[in-house]
Amino acid sequence: MINISRPHVIFALLFLALPIVPLEAWARIKLITLPVRERVEIQLDHPQATLVEEERIVPLVKGINQVDFSWANTRISPDSLIFRVLNTSETPDQAVKVLSVSYPPNENSLVWAVSSPHSGSAQVRISYILDGLEKEFHYRATATHDEKKLNLAQYLRLKNLANEEYKESSISVGFGDQLTRSVGIDETKDLLVTRYPEVMVRKTYTADLAQYGYLDAAKKKLKIPMHYVLKNDTTNGLGKASLPFGKTRIFQEDGHGGTAFVGEDWGKFTPQDDEMSLYLGVARDIVVKRTIDRNERKRINGNLYDYDLIVKYEIENFKESPVTLDIGETLRELRAELGYQNQRDVECELGPETTLLGKPDAEKSDADHLLFHVDLPAKKPESKPDKQICKLHILMKNEW
Amino acid sequence: MQAPYPDEKRMVIAMKRILFLALLVLTPFIISFGSTATARNLDLSTVPKRNAVQLTIYNSEDLTLVRETRVISFKKGINPLQFSWANTLIDPTSVELQFPGKAHSIQVLDTTFPHDKPQMLYWNVASEQEQEAKIEISYFTSGISWSADYTAIANPEETFLSLEGFVRIHNQSGEEYEDAQVRLVVGNINLVEKIAELAQLPPGKVEVLEEQTFRGYKQKAARQMMEAPAAIFSLGAVMEDEALAEPKEVAKEGLGEYFIYTIEGTETIPNGWAKRLRSFEAAKVPVKVEYRYRPREYGDELVRLYLLENETASGLGTTPLPNGRVQALRANGQGGLSFLTSREIKYVPIGDRIELNLGPDPEVVFELIRLKTFRDNIWMQVKGGSIYHKVGSRELQLDVKNRVSGWDEHKEFSQRIRNYTGKPIKVAVRRSYNGDITFRSELNPKLHDYKTVEFSTEVPEAGRVDLLHEIITRNGYNAKQNRVKLEKR
Repeated sequence: MINISRPHVIFALLFLALPIVPLEAWARIKLITLPVRERVEIQLDHPQATLVEEERIVPLVKGINQVDFSWANTRISPDSLIFRVLNTSETPDQAVKVLSVSYPPNENSLVWAVSSPHSGSAQVRISYILDGLEKEFHYRATATHDEKKLNLAQYLRLKNLANEEYKESSISVGFGDQLTRSVGIDETKDLLVTRYPEVMVRKTYTADLAQYGYLDAAKKKLKIPMHYVLKNDTTNGLGKASLPFGKTRIFQEDGHGGTAFVGEDWGKFTPQDDEMSLYLGVARDIVVKRTIDRNERKRINGNLYDYDLIVKYEIENFKESPVTLDIGETLRELRAELGYQNQRDVECELGPETTLLGKPDAEKSDADHLLFHVDLPAKKPESKPDKQICKLHILMKNEW
Repeated sequence: MQAPYPDEKRMVIAMKRILFLALLVLTPFIISFGSTATARNLDLSTVPKRNAVQLTIYNSEDLTLVRETRVISFKKGINPLQFSWANTLIDPTSVELQFPGKAHSIQVLDTTFPHDKPQMLYWNVASEQEQEAKIEISYFTSGISWSADYTAIANPEETFLSLEGFVRIHNQSGEEYEDAQVRLVVGNINLVEKIAELAQLPPGKVEVLEEQTFRGYKQKAARQMMEAPAAIFSLGAVMEDEALAEPKEVAKEGLGEYFIYTIEGTETIPNGWAKRLRSFEAAKVPVKVEYRYRPREYGDELVRLYLLENETASGLGTTPLPNGRVQALRANGQGGLSFLTSREIKYVPIGDRIELNLGPDPEVVFELIRLKTFRDNIWMQVKGGSIYHKVGSRELQLDVKNRVSGWDEHKEFSQRIRNYTGKPIKVAVRRSYNGDITFRSELNPKLHDYKTVEFSTEVPEAGRVDLLHEIITRNGYNAKQNRVKLEKR
């Protein structure tokens, strides 16, 4: 109905001289008004869809009005369009109503037939699903010099590939404050969604062969990755909402008023009360040598056996500060390591010779994965660290 | 009639594709047709206009039954009539000519499909007297279809839905049916061949296909429905202007196993266009929210559902709901909407439940944690033995070669559910197990079928529940059944 050279969503109102006009008349004389957007809301709270809502003031004449909506080169899902008249305090017979929607062939457009019992302006809201307005989240985390707290900023990166400009739009991600910004065609915008100024952070060192492998396989030295662990709850300075997946750039205060970039990692989607672990790299001053100290098979009957195993960890902390080491074992992997392969779950008990202090972490251990925490004292200056030897005594039962 | 479509790009079709020529025998210009009507070099013809058109559109098949009426003057004796349908998708085998109320005085003698002109036929009509008569031509065409779709908007508390149903008519038939009364059929009819295929055949070839059984099936199924009383089938009735201020009513009525929607008044849907009309509106439909884990139905994830009833108490229940796409949104309390899902629903009979799957909810964490595994009740099968003698001693050892042949495997699980939605939620879980299984718990489970256990719980706002249960699987020699047995812990 309107030839336009640039891609744009066009909203047009056609005033009809008569309610019934022959088809041929449409190709000739008509009067069109183009109501502008009064307000735009961009709802980004759905993981797969972007909902755009526009409000416009539409002058209607008494009778039937043709409201044309077209979106040349804009990726609007035509089946998702909803036309609502707002602030209608009239009785049903005095309300503005949508009579029908017509879809012309081979065009990105539709025509609403709207009946109005009187002439005047109506505030309408048009909602539609828009492809091409893409979002992703990312984070900037600045750790204090002592690595006890983080200042965590959460950003929304909005990429407008929808071929449509949205000026001064209210943007909502489903949590945090609403943002008001303009988003131009092909623009990428980073928007600060929320800031968590004092997030308690726990720096972890983990020894887990199945998960992280060896640093030096010949010497049985394990790779010890370091992580910042943030618990998404109010006690630890978070807990307002789930943390969406996104890249996290990690900085650390250098103690001289500046910061140093210490690495980046993908933060997984983290519901409330869950932990987000951010990988920082491999620790070089915590050395863990892991060996299988005992592997004895006890025949119960026929081909039925129990296995008596001791996994020994020799641990040295070269840091001049105390740390906690997390030691993890995956029982299926341990059984495979010893050359016993089958598809059954491992039936296991902790043996009496276990010297790892305390029980496995109840929240983070299950029937196949055990996690222990070992406190390592600080190395005294000018001296070698004390070597801690911890044993994990495992009885694997009823294997064949 | 509503105003037509404001589209300046649209080509106005100047000439109808379906042409009905009444060839009046006017000597000496016309040579009357005998047993077979033939085109001559010199013809005089009249083109009677359509008085009314009725479209009965089936959504289960690419099939529309068109019934049009015209008024023609007949002379006494034989009257040749020509009917052609160039560039349309009409099934030539389906074209029928009838004379409502005049069956005794007018009849079709024969129908001829000329060899050189596809998409055309001639009728020779015998009239006992000179008279004006209403004729009714009916035929099947493909290319016109209809579909249902729905918009559901929940209130912020998700206790009620506003549900609107729509019908959308698509016209790709090659023909524009002006001011047609439109009827939409809900239900599946049996077709032994597709109309779209038949429409491509030259009429001469139709006879090869045209078996009595085929025609019988098709005609019977579709024409039966055509005989249903129409809400309005006046001759081109045009609605008053005042009435146009209201959305059209869509009358719904049952017919055997089918439902017919009749759209109020008439519609003109140009070729290539589609038109969407509201079929019903229910402003306040009670809705329940339930979370379900049913891998067989919804995949391996906990999903959230809106449950509502197609019944009068809910403001629905006057018609079955045809299958179609539901767009579900929730009012956010500030005048805006949040998009929830867009999904197909299947046909919902009156009185049945509508289950709208909204997909997983990131605010509900659903985890299955295996806490412990152990085995007992181990049986060995004796496979014979060997005697070993140590050289240089009298020691003998008897080694009996036993092998594990049966055992019970115990696995203790916690089905952990955490709720961050801001309100209590109901969760129902179904899990299927193969083999000889005992499901031991204090969850008051039920058997959904011989291998599927169902249990449910409520999770308070910001709460967490651990649904502890033990699965005992009897393996090998121990397996005597293939079913799940429920046991109290």
